[in-house]
Amino acid sequence: MFGYINANQEVMSAEDRDTYKAFYCGLCRKLKELGGWKAQVLLNYDMTFLIILLSGLYELESKKYSFSCAMHPGKKQFAYDNEAVTYCAKMNIVLGYHNLMDDYADSKNLSKKTLANSYKKVYTAIREEYPEKVAAVERMMDAIRDAESRREENLDVMAGYMGTMLGELFVWKDDVWNKGLRDMGYYMGKFIYIMDAYDDLEKDEKDHNYNPLLMKKNCNRDCYEVFCQQALTSMVSECAKSFECLPILEHAEILRNILYSGIWTKYEYKQIKLGNRMNKEKQDGSISGIRD
Amino acid sequence: MDPYQVLGISPSASDDEVKKAYRSLSRKYHPDANVNNPNKAMAEEKFKQVQQAYDTIMKMRQRGESYGGYGSNYSSGRTSYGYGQRANISPELQAALNYLSGGYYQEAMTVLSSIDASKRGGVWYYMAAVASEGLGNLSAAREYAARAVALEPSNFQFRQYQAHLDGDAWYATRSASYRRPYDGYSRWCVDLLLMNLFCGCCC
Repeated sequence: MFGYINANQEVMSAEDRDTYKAFYCGLCRKLKELGGWKAQVLLNYDMTFLIILLSGLYELESKKYSFSCAMHPGKKQFAYDNEAVTYCAKMNIVLGYHNLMDDYADSKNLSKKTLANSYKKVYTAIREEYPEKVAAVERMMDAIRDAESRREENLDVMAGYMGTMLGELFVWKDDVWNKGLRDMGYYMGKFIYIMDAYDDLEKDEKDHNYNPLLMKKNCNRDCYEVFCQQALTSMVSECAKSFECLPILEHAEILRNILYSGIWTKYEYKQIKLGNRMNKEKQDGSISGIRD
Repeated sequence: MDPYQVLGISPSASDDEVKKAYRSLSRKYHPDANVNNPNKAMAEEKFKQVQQAYDTIMKMRQRGESYGGYGSNYSSGRTSYGYGQRANISPELQAALNYLSGGYYQEAMTVLSSIDASKRGGVWYYMAAVASEGLGNLSAAREYAARAVALEPSNFQFRQYQAHLDGDAWYATRSASYRRPYDGYSRWCVDLLLMNLFCGCCC
């Protein structure tokens, strides 16, 4: 569920990269402040995107501070702090909690549950502060679990749950940007769901786990790759369209880097893996051919 | 009321210029900034107008793309280039549009060239790209399309058209830079954090 909204740092200006990193570190520091080192492991780029989006839209003033990081000893690090960092860190903990509980339900791995339980207190506090947001997340996580257990075949229904959930989280303040932010979150959520299913397909197929894309793959193998690529592209396009309608000038280039490039990182990585495997199969085939 | 007039900008303004104008005006007329203003009601009215004008322009620009079906139409050669949704299209542009719809690319190009360079917005570059493509000048078409996209990044019709020109290279060019797609930085940070977690468990 996490880790799909990356930036393509290779094609980022040095200045943008520093800003991006400072928000990322800001999120990490905030997670630590809220839930200690256990919450810090929930750190991810997806929420960094939302922080930068909200900071840009609301033109928030960010406090820049330096700190030393145990992960990067000896080097002074910079981080940004603003209200969006705090909000996103809280939502990050909520999503992280459910993600771990979900993993536990799938794998019965007790360490996941133990870790999730360690957030229980801070989770409850966040629920009191943002009852609507947390209720929406809980409702959608339940809906996803229900749909998975009835082996829902409609990909749009499944992706729609994730979309609705992220849409709700994107709407930080209920103001004129409600619709623009909700639409962005909705399509990004759908993208994440499909990308997650696409990423896990081989593993789920092997383990006989539920995966809505398996149905697609089984009924039309040849078109499967094209179908996935088009589905993902259309979701990102809609998300980017809503983004371009918002009056964002600050950090706009970082956000465009993510929406038009970085978001494909995992997809491209998988293409390379698939390509390598196909080449290997081809090679193996030709070797056995020689033997025959 | 003409939304461009409300924001005090020309219809050929780039998306960023529209956003900038909106930002400064909405800040000026924001109710929070006018608490002590004797003309508070007027400022509030103006604030609403600015908001509405911005929404209208953004919607209009995105709808600019909604003419004709996309993609598949191109292979058949002819497309309808209705630009009816966009307000304030000049007579020259309308003429060029008519020529394009009829497949008279040279005529369209002539009309377009007659338009003063200072009045050339995203639509102009888009039409010039379509005309160039019709004339078989693909590299010129690509340049014009790139300019149209640069002027109006929110217009997906332009982007899609550009992708069509490049044989859907819009995403392909981006993926080209993914030869080393894995983000070592993120992995490293999180791996270390996980290690830290592990240490935390045993100490």
